[in-house]
Amino acid sequence: MQSLSQTSTAGVLLDLSGVLILLLAFACLASKLFDRYVVYYGAQSVVLSFAAAVVAVAFHSVELWILAALTLAVKGIAIPLVARRLLVTRLALKRDAAMSTGLSTSLIAGGALTAFAYLVIRPALLPYDTVAAAVVPLSTAVILLGSLSMVVRRHTVAQLIGWLIVENGVFLGAITLVATFPFIVEAGIFLDIVAGVLIMVVFVSGLTRQLAEASAAELRELRG
Amino acid sequence: MTALAVLIALSPLAGSAAAIADARARVAAVAQAAGAAVALGCSLALLVILDGRAPLSGWDGFLYVDSLGGFFLMTVAGVTLLAAVGSIGYIAAQEDSGELGRFQVRLYFAFFGLFASLMLAALETGNLGLLFVLVEASTLASAALVGLEGRARSLEAAWKYVIISSLGVTIALAGTLFLFYSGSALHLGSNLGLTWPYLLTHAHALAPQPLRLAFLLAVVGYGTKVGLAPMHTWLPDAHAEAPSPASAMLSAALLNVGMYAIIRFLAIANRGLGSTYPRAVLLSFGFASIVIGALFMVRRGNFKRLFAYSSVEQMGIIAVALGFGGTLGLYGALLQTLNHALAKAVLFLSSGDVALRYRTREAGEVSGLLAAVPVTGGVLLLASFAVLGSPPFGLFLSELTIVRAGFAHGSPVFPLFLLALLGLAFVPFARTTTGMVTGNPPPLASPYRDRAAVAVTAAPWILGLAALLVLGLWIPAGLDTVLRHSIAVIG
Repeated sequence: MQSLSQTSTAGVLLDLSGVLILLLAFACLASKLFDRYVVYYGAQSVVLSFAAAVVAVAFHSVELWILAALTLAVKGIAIPLVARRLLVTRLALKRDAAMSTGLSTSLIAGGALTAFAYLVIRPALLPYDTVAAAVVPLSTAVILLGSLSMVVRRHTVAQLIGWLIVENGVFLGAITLVATFPFIVEAGIFLDIVAGVLIMVVFVSGLTRQLAEASAAELRELRG
Repeated sequence: MTALAVLIALSPLAGSAAAIADARARVAAVAQAAGAAVALGCSLALLVILDGRAPLSGWDGFLYVDSLGGFFLMTVAGVTLLAAVGSIGYIAAQEDSGELGRFQVRLYFAFFGLFASLMLAALETGNLGLLFVLVEASTLASAALVGLEGRARSLEAAWKYVIISSLGVTIALAGTLFLFYSGSALHLGSNLGLTWPYLLTHAHALAPQPLRLAFLLAVVGYGTKVGLAPMHTWLPDAHAEAPSPASAMLSAALLNVGMYAIIRFLAIANRGLGSTYPRAVLLSFGFASIVIGALFMVRRGNFKRLFAYSSVEQMGIIAVALGFGGTLGLYGALLQTLNHALAKAVLFLSSGDVALRYRTREAGEVSGLLAAVPVTGGVLLLASFAVLGSPPFGLFLSELTIVRAGFAHGSPVFPLFLLALLGLAFVPFARTTTGMVTGNPPPLASPYRDRAAVAVTAAPWILGLAALLVLGLWIPAGLDTVLRHSIAVIG
């Protein structure tokens, strides 16, 4: 497929969105309040849907418009709302105490992972005048940061948000690399369904008070 | 032929339908077994029809079955049949004793059928995007089986399983996207361009750098489902907490589906990059898994966890065999897949019987199986020696093939290391299982309603063990042809 150049308007906007998405992933990693996780994730998804709209304009692609609208509706609005109502409010979650490292340690690790993402993706992988060369390392860093917050956080809701951030990172990469390919919209819809199922799982198990109560820190039975 | 392929993927849903129609455990399990038998029959028929002909393909490449797919279809359908027959006695006994409620029984069969059906469908698609979708969907379906018993432990295991596997499969999606990107020069504008056969035939035109990354991400991502170390952490918990027939499905069917996806990516990488890089990746993950699996077997505790760590080890052996490559390596890998599936199905199903009788899953609390229940004890003992690679069972033959492939490919260090690790794994595993079968049994009450239920429960173990024995002594000409055709597809 033809790739957006780095200096075109669309390229600059996409690059900017990528940076914002990375910063929001950092913000989420640096936060300790369940409320904030949800807000940052929602904001990240709104920026992602803007990025998808930018690519949709650049390629005149109806499918990408659908993807942008879906991202805004599902990830930007529906998932944050539902997560807030069902998880944060219902389960009365406030501060997330169950972290395996301190905040500063995880932020330093996050910085290292971002540098690592640039190291892996930059050389020879992508033609350097395309916008993909700038955005794909960003999206890789977002994937790594999401995984990191899944690792350092022990609460199921926090892990869920971490996975959602990983998914945003994958989609940022997808719209920059393979935007005009078929399948991308279907994959987006499918992952939204998966996200919905995961929220249901956490919700149901949280209500039975068997999982959420013992925020994984106390789940020590299965080891070795 | 298309109808046959559709029937394979849909027939396991018979069990789900029965469960939704509110059937009792026995009826639903029989419906499930009948569906699985149809799937197995159809996949055998499909293999016969495919013999030496062009692969079945249709619907813009969304449907694609070649010999390799057919071989895995046969394996997964066979395991589904064994596990479904095993469910008849196991789930009914749990229903009778009140350990599983009516709703849980319905849930079990609804998701068992769905799980099997999604796995079979994943083996029938040529579209790599749809492959990702089906593998992830099968994760969600099987998570319900892991958490079925509803205790804190099983819910924890289910959550761990679903979140780690979802993360893994999302990484596999990133790998798939990089693979598509590496084909930028091919202008993959249509669905046909995203299919495995198209990408394989154009593998030389794929950009090498993105392809390397794509292969690595696919191995990490789908490797999470396979249980390759260090992504294996969900595996022992999920296998230990699921009801035994569901553990058999996870270990003997699901892991193979993940390995199937890796094999598809391997074929493209081998052709596009040469074999050095894929070999290094597979040997690293493979040996790491064997070491981790063997070391964790030393701990003596829950016997289902022991079998689960043995699965990690076995999947590592298969990854190493794929890494060795060549006709011999691939032949060994596929044969090992089939043998391991049979042996693990037998082990997990018979361990379900042990768990029902002794009301524990701790190996230390089980003794005197041979004296108390000779059939279960004998099967458990023979199956453990089979899975450890003792002659005259099938795994001996396939592991021998793999070691020979290692020597054929050059450096003798790797096959010698493999042999040493196999020996290392033998001791703790055999020590635990022999401890379970010997000694004096405590007084036991039969959990089954009548003798017929006992016979139905034992049937799949004996069938599986007999098949393992046959495969150790003689490889049927038909199977040999299928294996050779499969290797030709990916080689």
